[in-house]
This record gives sequence, C-alpha cells and structure tokens, in this order.
Amino acid sequence: MAIATRRHADTQTIPVSFTLNGRLQEIDVEPHELLLDMVRDRLGLTGAKRSCDVEVCGACTLLVDGRPVSACTTLAFEVRGRSVMTIEGLADNGKLHPLQESFIEHGGFQCGYCTPGMILASKALLDENPNPSEAELKHFMHGNICRCTGYKKIIESIMAAAKKMRAK
Amino acid sequence: MLRRFRLEEPESVAEASELLGRFGDTAKVYAGGTELLLAMKEGLVQYERLINGKKIGLNQVSADNGTLKIGALCTHHELENSVLLQQRLPALVKLEQNVANVRVRQAGTIGGNLCFAEPHADPGTLLMALGATMVADKGASKREILADNFFVDAYETSLAADEVLTEIRVPTPGANRKCAYLKFGYLERPSVGVAIALSLNGVVSDVRIAVGCAGPAPKRVAEAETLLNGKSKDEVSRNLAQAGAIAAKASQAISDLHGAQDYKEHIVGVLLKRAFQAAVS
Amino acid sequence: MQFQKQVEILVPREKVWKFIWDVDRFIACVPGCKEAKTLEEGKRYAATMTEKVGPFKVEFPTTIEVLEREELTHIKAQASGADNKIGSRMKIDLDVNLRDQDNNTILSFVAGVDILGKLAALGHGIIKRKADQVLDEFAQAVKQKLEGEA
Repeated sequence: MAIATRRHADTQTIPVSFTLNGRLQEIDVEPHELLLDMVRDRLGLTGAKRSCDVEVCGACTLLVDGRPVSACTTLAFEVRGRSVMTIEGLADNGKLHPLQESFIEHGGFQCGYCTPGMILASKALLDENPNPSEAELKHFMHGNICRCTGYKKIIESIMAAAKKMRAK
Repeated sequence: MLRRFRLEEPESVAEASELLGRFGDTAKVYAGGTELLLAMKEGLVQYERLINGKKIGLNQVSADNGTLKIGALCTHHELENSVLLQQRLPALVKLEQNVANVRVRQAGTIGGNLCFAEPHADPGTLLMALGATMVADKGASKREILADNFFVDAYETSLAADEVLTEIRVPTPGANRKCAYLKFGYLERPSVGVAIALSLNGVVSDVRIAVGCAGPAPKRVAEAETLLNGKSKDEVSRNLAQAGAIAAKASQAISDLHGAQDYKEHIVGVLLKRAFQAAVS
Repeated sequence: MQFQKQVEILVPREKVWKFIWDVDRFIACVPGCKEAKTLEEGKRYAATMTEKVGPFKVEFPTTIEVLEREELTHIKAQASGADNKIGSRMKIDLDVNLRDQDNNTILSFVAGVDILGKLAALGHGIIKRKADQVLDEFAQAVKQKLEGEA
C-alpha cells in the first residue's frame, strides 16, 4: 500500500519499497527523513524509542536485513530494497517469539523502555551465533543500555532463549 | 529532525568529485552517516547536498601482490568479517571488532571514520603504524597520501575539497612483522589508543609507533621509535618507560571529559608497554 | 578557560598604547575578526569573530566593552557574542597590561574565555586548543605590526 503525502513541486522525494515485518511497504520519503521518525510517526510503530539520539543506547534498534541499526541515525531511504523488522513484527500471529517469552519468564525488563531494542539486538545475535558464550553475548549487546535491571536478568533471558531455540 | 538537503547519488568517483568541486562546502560526501548525521542533528553543520558514496562500488577488500587494498566504503562490520584481513592483518580485524557498538559497525565505514577525523577514533592510529597510504581520487587523477600526513588536526584531513578517499592501502606485513593496537576508554569513544609495529629478527627493528585519541589527531612518534630500533627485546623492555613518556608528550593530550591531560599521558605509557608485549608474544 | 600571554614588543609603550586604540588595525590582529566598528569612542566597539575547526564554522557578532582604563598601563574589557545559527554564546574577559622593559614594552594579558551552548559539544579540549592558538597568533600579530612599522 502506497502512502502518499502532498509535497511542494520542488521537493526531492525518494520512493522506498521495502519489506516491513514480512509485508511489502511502499512509501515516499524525503532525503532528510530519519528511519526512526518514519517508523514511529508515519507507520505508527512506536516500539522503537528515541532515547539518546546519538546511536549509543540502542533503544531505537531496528533490524535491517537481519542486522541491528540505530534508527535514530539512519536515513529512511536507506531501507529501500531491504527487509526491516520492528519489535511489532517479532511475534508470529500472536504467538510470542522465544526471546519475548524468555524476557517475561526471566524478568529481563522493568520499565520496558530498552526492551524492544534489547530483544531485536539479541535476535540478531542468536541468528548469527546460536550458542554464544557470555563474553560473546556481552560484546554483541555492548551497545544496548539498560538503566533498570543491571543486565543480569537480560543475559539470563537471552541465554535461556538461546537454549530453547537450539533445542527446536 | 534534520534540515532538508538534496541527495546526490553519483555512480563514479569522477562524478562525485565533480559534484564536490561544483558545490563546495554546501555539499558533503555521505557514507554510513554515523558521524556526519550526528553533527547535522546537533545543528553543528548544515549541507544543501549530501553525496551518497555507496553507489560507487568502493567496498571491496583485495590483495594485490604485497598490498592489501581496503575500499573506503567498507563498513566496520565488513572488515571484521573479511577472511582476507583475518589472514593478513588480524590486528586490524581486532580493531574493527571493537569500534563503537554493533549498530555503528553495521553502518559506519572506515573511510567515513578517517575523513571525519574525530579525535576519539581507532583506525587512523593503527593505519599509521602499519605504514598505510590513503588514495585520494578526483576521477581523472589520484594521489596517495601517507597515513602520517593524512591527519592535519581535529576534524581536518589533508584531502582537497574535491578529492574522494577511495581506498586504503596497507603493505602486507611479512612473517617477522608484529603489530598490536590497544585502546582505553570508559565513555562511548576511546580516550587513548596506541599502535606499534615492528620486525623481530633477533633484534627489534623498523619500529613504528603511533598514538591517537588523546590529542587532536593521531601522531607518529619517531623519537620513541629511535629508542627501540636495533635493540634486543630485553633492552627494548628497559627503554619502554622512557619511550612511553616521549610518546605521551607527542600525543598532545587534551584535558576533556575523556580524562585529564596527565591521566591520558600516563595511559599512553601503560598502553605502549602492553602493546609491545602483545605484539611480541 | 583561562589563558595568559605575554609578548615583548621592541617599541616604546606610548606607541603600543596608541596602537591598541586604533581599532581597525588592532582588530586586524585578531585571527578571524572582521568588520570592526567604533560604537562609542574609548568605550564600546563591535566586530564579527569567525572561527573554523574542520567542517565546523562559527560566526559571532561581538560587542566589546571597555570597563577600566589606566592611561598607558592597563585595560579591562569584556567581549560577548552569540552565534544563533549554531546556538552558542561566547564571553571573553580581558585584562591587558603594559609595562616598560628598557626602551621596549611588555604586553601581557589574561583572557577568561567562556563558550556556552552547542559548540561546547565539540569538546572543551578542542575549543581550548583553538582559543590558545588564536591568542598566540594575536599576540604575535600585534608584535609584528608594531615592530614592522618601527
């Protein structure tokens, strides 16, 4: 479905065709639009958060072609021809992803603000490395910051999910 | 929100260079955007045009006889996963694995890192110690700039306004060539980085030492190198403290949120010692 | 940030003092400073200060107020300006002293520089280094100008 907006004749727009949570999306963007704003404000997917706005905290993490990016510092047109996953796209028809179940079961969140980013980043980690050591996990997740949990339960949640996912 | 700009997407270096020449400092090359977009978001810089460098095809890693050629638009992620680099330049792979965080590594490019010349950055320091050269290309002509001469000051390189950094060339280290890069930091960006490269053949020779992050730009420290050249491993170990002190002063350490000047200078000395040990072990 | 500079100028004190109040020539010694104007003779002046660090440029329309003045010896002044494009403000407190050394003059000054706003995001360290450079160049330029004319 194309989302059209009215623009001044001189404005440069870039047509962006991409897969969003498994479905084809077509949208015109201006070069200066940020991916986070497009996803939150134009597409209504507010799971990704604007937190530090300088690519440091990971609360805005989205997966583009399966890899984590800082949506706050990514230009929207960069997803043309790619697949994008937001936290809203992780569950399968209402059935939670093992990572989501694990975060609930193991108390991997408190306020929940960092959690969409945490879960997406850990999905990228496990897709790449289904059996990470704790050191490998910490290295990969280094850029996702949590102010509430002290990280221990986040690590437990990810490790438990990894174990479950390997068993499948 | 960013201010509006036009996106140009040249498909050749010549085209990019022409655009840069034509639009001067109202235009800027845009690669991963991990530094540029931050500065633009802060309102510290404004551009009417961004010139996307990602359609020119500058993201290959190849070997040409004894020279490794790294495309400027290679992302840190591509470099950390390069089989060729892992075989020939594992010190660079280790450096790339530890740049910033996984998201910055996904988007950020080595060329963008070098050209933005943020003082608190890693690659420049190691490339200096490796004797790397940067290829500055206008399309019709190009030149090679030795890494030692690439960094002029904080946020300033010796690239001309219409030159595009297309490639970084590193002479493949021989079997006896040892190198290491160590960094220290507790904020998001590194506070101090020290690189050493040397040949070990009974004695230590052809030493190259570079310090970065602490001062406005990475620096070769020839005076420290002289202290270690031609010496046995033991003699070198005895001279390391003095070499470290020289390197510390050469780093032009600035007091800032990353640490006080004397603290950074101290860390330079510590890292030089450890980098030597890491290189020869 | 505090800076202290001192320069020996091989010219008598009266000449240096006179030079300081010759606004156009004096301002020309400040790197990146242009469009000097006298708003109130001896009391208020205006100028535009520009500086560049890599791709970052600032332009501060600046007002300079002379707060104290002791003939041939001492000036206390304050310069302030704002770059609204970048969102930064600058304030400099300047204490200038002249004294004799034989037939020559020792010109010394203490500058207290405050930069507020977005520029500070660039890093206190970079700004400090830049300010230090500018003040060094300024002191040298005054010396060259005066000695050149001697």
